[in-house]
Amino acid sequence: MPIKRRQVLSGSAAGAVSLATGLAAPAIAANEPIKIGYLPALTGPSSSTGVGMNRGTQLAVEEINNAGGINGRKLELISRDTQSDPTKAVNAVAELTQRQKVALIWGPVNSGEALAATPLIARDKVPMLHPCWVDELIDVKKYPMAFRIAPTNTQIGGGANHYAVDVLKLKKVAVVSDTTGYGTASVNTYVPMLKAKGAEVVYTNHIDAANPDLKPELLRMQNAGAQVIMPWSVNAGFLSRICNTRGAMGWDVPIVGQTTLGSGQTKALLEKPEYWNKVYSNNFRQVCYANGKLPPRAAEYVERLKKAKVEFGDTLLWWVALGWDSMALLTETFKTAGTKPEDIVAYWNKLKNWPGIYGTISWTPEQHNGFPDDEVVMCEVNSLKDGAFNIAPGYSS
Amino acid sequence: MTDTAARMPARPGGTSLLGRLEGKLSWIALGLAGLLLPLLDDSYIGLIAQRACIYWILSAGLNLVVGYAGQIAIGWVSMLTLGAYTTAALTAGNVGAPWHPYLALVASAVIGAVFGVIVGLPALRLRTFYFAMTTLGFATIVTQVALAWKSVTGGGVGTPGPVFPWPFDPGWGFYYFCFLLAAVATWMTANIASSRYGRALIAIRDAEVAAEASGVAKPRLLMMVFLLAGALGGVAGGLFSSLQSYITPDAFTFEMSVLFFIGILIGGRGSILGPALGTIILTVLPEFAAPLVQWSTFLYAALLLLIVLVIPGGIADLLDYRNRRPLEQHREIAPRPELLPRLLGERRRGELLSLKGIELSFGGVRAIAGLDLEIRPGEVHGLIGPNGSGKTTTLNVISGYYAPQKGEVTLGSSVLPPGAPHLRAPHRIARTFQTPRVIGAASVLENVMVGGTIDGQGSFAESLLTLPRHRRDEAHLREAAMLALATVGLESLAAVRADRLQHSELRFVEIARALMLRPACLMLDEPAAGLSAEEIRRLGALIKAVSRAGTAVLLVEHHADLIFDICDRVTVLNLGKILAAGTPAEIRSHREVVSAYLGA
Amino acid sequence: MLQSIVSYGLAVGAVYALIGITYNVMFSASRVFSFTAGMLGMLGGVLGAIFINKWGINAALALLLVLACGALLGIVTEVLTVRPVLKSVEQHLYVLSTLAFALMIQQVVAIEFGTEAYPFPVLIPIDPASIWGAIDQKFWLPVLACAVTIAGLEFLYRKTLIGRAFLAIAEDSYAARALGLPETRLRMASYALAGVIGALAGFTGAQMLLAFFGNQSILNFYGFVPVALGGMGSNRGAVIGGLALGLFQQAANFLVGGIFAAVAVFAVFIVVLLLRPEGLAGAATARRV
Repeated sequence: MPIKRRQVLSGSAAGAVSLATGLAAPAIAANEPIKIGYLPALTGPSSSTGVGMNRGTQLAVEEINNAGGINGRKLELISRDTQSDPTKAVNAVAELTQRQKVALIWGPVNSGEALAATPLIARDKVPMLHPCWVDELIDVKKYPMAFRIAPTNTQIGGGANHYAVDVLKLKKVAVVSDTTGYGTASVNTYVPMLKAKGAEVVYTNHIDAANPDLKPELLRMQNAGAQVIMPWSVNAGFLSRICNTRGAMGWDVPIVGQTTLGSGQTKALLEKPEYWNKVYSNNFRQVCYANGKLPPRAAEYVERLKKAKVEFGDTLLWWVALGWDSMALLTETFKTAGTKPEDIVAYWNKLKNWPGIYGTISWTPEQHNGFPDDEVVMCEVNSLKDGAFNIAPGYSS
Repeated sequence: MTDTAARMPARPGGTSLLGRLEGKLSWIALGLAGLLLPLLDDSYIGLIAQRACIYWILSAGLNLVVGYAGQIAIGWVSMLTLGAYTTAALTAGNVGAPWHPYLALVASAVIGAVFGVIVGLPALRLRTFYFAMTTLGFATIVTQVALAWKSVTGGGVGTPGPVFPWPFDPGWGFYYFCFLLAAVATWMTANIASSRYGRALIAIRDAEVAAEASGVAKPRLLMMVFLLAGALGGVAGGLFSSLQSYITPDAFTFEMSVLFFIGILIGGRGSILGPALGTIILTVLPEFAAPLVQWSTFLYAALLLLIVLVIPGGIADLLDYRNRRPLEQHREIAPRPELLPRLLGERRRGELLSLKGIELSFGGVRAIAGLDLEIRPGEVHGLIGPNGSGKTTTLNVISGYYAPQKGEVTLGSSVLPPGAPHLRAPHRIARTFQTPRVIGAASVLENVMVGGTIDGQGSFAESLLTLPRHRRDEAHLREAAMLALATVGLESLAAVRADRLQHSELRFVEIARALMLRPACLMLDEPAAGLSAEEIRRLGALIKAVSRAGTAVLLVEHHADLIFDICDRVTVLNLGKILAAGTPAEIRSHREVVSAYLGA
Repeated sequence: MLQSIVSYGLAVGAVYALIGITYNVMFSASRVFSFTAGMLGMLGGVLGAIFINKWGINAALALLLVLACGALLGIVTEVLTVRPVLKSVEQHLYVLSTLAFALMIQQVVAIEFGTEAYPFPVLIPIDPASIWGAIDQKFWLPVLACAVTIAGLEFLYRKTLIGRAFLAIAEDSYAARALGLPETRLRMASYALAGVIGALAGFTGAQMLLAFFGNQSILNFYGFVPVALGGMGSNRGAVIGGLALGLFQQAANFLVGGIFAAVAVFAVFIVVLLLRPEGLAGAATARRV
């Protein structure tokens, strides 16, 4: 009788588990660590973002635990490197939710992995906090426990479009991307948005990032009469080649686009430093210099990092700040609402103007995208100093 | 039908229950473990198991391509991609009205099959490395198309995978679905592997010329296998899209392709159980070695190198304990020509093989310069001459490896198509080779059974499902092969791997394989080379008996004693022309022959 | 636009041609197509960037070091992955052993050096305003390297004893061994030579292709296309095929752009191979029985 046997066995297994936890619960719950599932991409093709965020994340957990943890309970990060590979992310989610029984999941930090992981985390009813931009990742009906601590792609593109069309007053736009999921999705979303703003999209294409010569692309943009290039890619080599080709052609149009335009890796690949002029990348108001000064929260944070001798010249402030903020928010959540999934979600659903270093977050039961539109700005990439940039000219401070 | 049954079929008397169970224990253990896995009540393990099953469904098919047919299809992940996008796009309604997931899965199989054949086509014309490159290129192109064809695939954003409804809904239901399909894939590929098609595949891999001489039609067979492997890849892809819940082009990496490929090779070529274990190990291993995840591809590659250099047989070889039992040291080949009438048929109408005005040159060199030859049924015809005189070339013209520029070869009343080696077997023309062409990794019995390939009646599909006609074929072939082995005196070695045999024994294995065709014409290329005097004597008696049973025998040989002992007629070639022809006695006294050849 | 097609097409074509020659040199010595050809090209760029950018070695010395590394890797390839499987060349094990070795090296590079593309320094300080600077050195360097290699190989094969020994091995290794030629040592020397050529291709092409671990698979495929088109073992075929491929690819890039250029190259590759498996200039295969 296989059915009976199975019942008996699984019953006894469950019994053993409840017995163990039952015995342990009263004694240990008070100082048992709180498990946080963590899905960074620390290796693999698009890992520089993950490495930056990881620095902030680890730093925050260390500080919180050194300060005694949350009501005597330490935070335990259970980290599984997704290697920018969705397959690894799917395996890791099952392990974290089913076997490790984590209280919530922070990540994945790349959209490719998040697209695969989100439905599975939702199926297992575990709260999820992630910094990915792809719009489809937040859907309060399908994934009621998933929250975004970052802008959406629409907001990012909106910020860039706003700058190119409304601030720089350029109406003829060339929009290009590499062939990755992120790149193609961005172009597909932004082109209609630009058109709705009354801009004329004179050129659009997905370009193989491995293609070393972009002159054909830029010539076609030029022939189409483009006044501004908007590239969407996280590939530093690709973006630097756009800057280099523009410079070599002596073509004096601004480049407005993705944050990676301002990364150290892009800078390293420039043929001449001046090819970085008139390049504006996305950034966030709370971590940008305005008139040479960071906003107070960020300024204080940088002071702390410097005192703690944390190296962040080789990464970006907003990556580190984002990792830090997430842990700070979790700490506050656990302190006030506890670690039960429904309590966490209820708390987050009412979060209003939570003051992060990286951004001011608000969520409602209907809206789990928490980043304010007006904090998405553009910056001058050639002003990089201590991992942060000058806000681009034309914004009111 | 198990792997072990495929590798070790040769225990003619071993039909006892215990005997049959012996080779299947691993499968029973694996099956029980799979069935009872849900008792662990750990859905993380469940997910990994689903993944292993899905990967194995693809690898089971790929195993026939790589492990059996020896085609280096490195980029087979493209089938997974195609299947995944087909199922996902159809169920999501990206193409017309949304399909039911199970129907979409069937569509994935069809698409996979179609593209399996398309990707496989180049294998018929291209050399190994070229084919490896084209499969790699195809995998890249599929990913590129998935990125570009936004309306169907969602482009880079991807598209959600389906959730299969009851009874195979997510969780253990879906696990049983994957497990069931993996079991079916195993069963079907094992059926093929142990059929005449499977043997023909290995023959193509390890002894292609011998396969052709046995009448294996490589293009047709490979197409069937690519079709099956593509379909299984498509099904695996459909399941993969549901497992991943969401698919984007970057999920289908080259590393994954390498994983499938290496899983098979670790398992061992020409085995089913080995690659199944290999695939499971490679799927599960990274989960236990989280700190090593970064190095996983490196470790796979290192493993591959190790396998190739140290244990080319893979896991299957390690499990194949039977073939490590020592063989008897002093073996004797004792042919029993009296069995020939039973093997070849009692009443046979012999046919005359004749060559008329054959001319063949390579570049500027005239290898055969106008050759006429008649080989009569019931006679042994010797063909001798110095090196380079055109003996083996003549054999190759008759068996279709070379197309002569002039002249024709006829058997009875039919003209043999020039340059088509696989069309000789249907005319009952069989041959052996100067260097024995046997499949070292297969058993002696399997090697001999390859010779009877064209006598099978059942289709590929019948073998796939072990329908009655397939089972009848197998029984007949096995019986005939045992008889052929008994005739040449090797039945005690039937179950032994052919590469463990001595050189002289291989020569007799080749003869047994040729006899499986019940040949109208049998051509032997230096069969006595490397044999002892006593063995040569027995060989001579056997050859003579074969001819007396109504076969036209053409014997190329350097061994003058053997030639003059058993030949009814002898033709001496020199520089592609006939120097002399006649009875052995006439040749022996032919002045020119004696001075040019025999005297030397 | 035409100028861009030609200058860039010829430059990248020269890199493909050199990788094709790398395949050929190894093939001639051993009848083996080795997956390490693209790896050598990739390493030429990566090692060059490490030596010059990180260690501050001057460009000429760095080139020598890179070529030495290439030769060493060539020898390791021969000893580790080719020699042990040559006996069983029928089973095509070399495809697997060389693939495994190339993957291992690539993974080490990805982990130790990183998965991003790094810049490659300008090798020869030339004032762009001078006559010599009229064409960017990243375009003429690979073409020059290709010309030097071809001239060097012609000299080696025609005028020197060791070169003739190479040819003898390529023609018929059994006969060459029978003549008393040290086949094993000559094969090792060929692999070292192939290593040098592959590394040279990577080094001179790196200003254009960057120091990037992913170049391995790109060069493996695009370097093989000229071999397939020009006929295996034919260096002239590889040069013509490589330059044609570079021009075709760049023209496709201009005319259809984006990913369709890659699809176009692949389509041409398949069609040519199916119609003429021995290559456009190759001869039919030898006897099998």
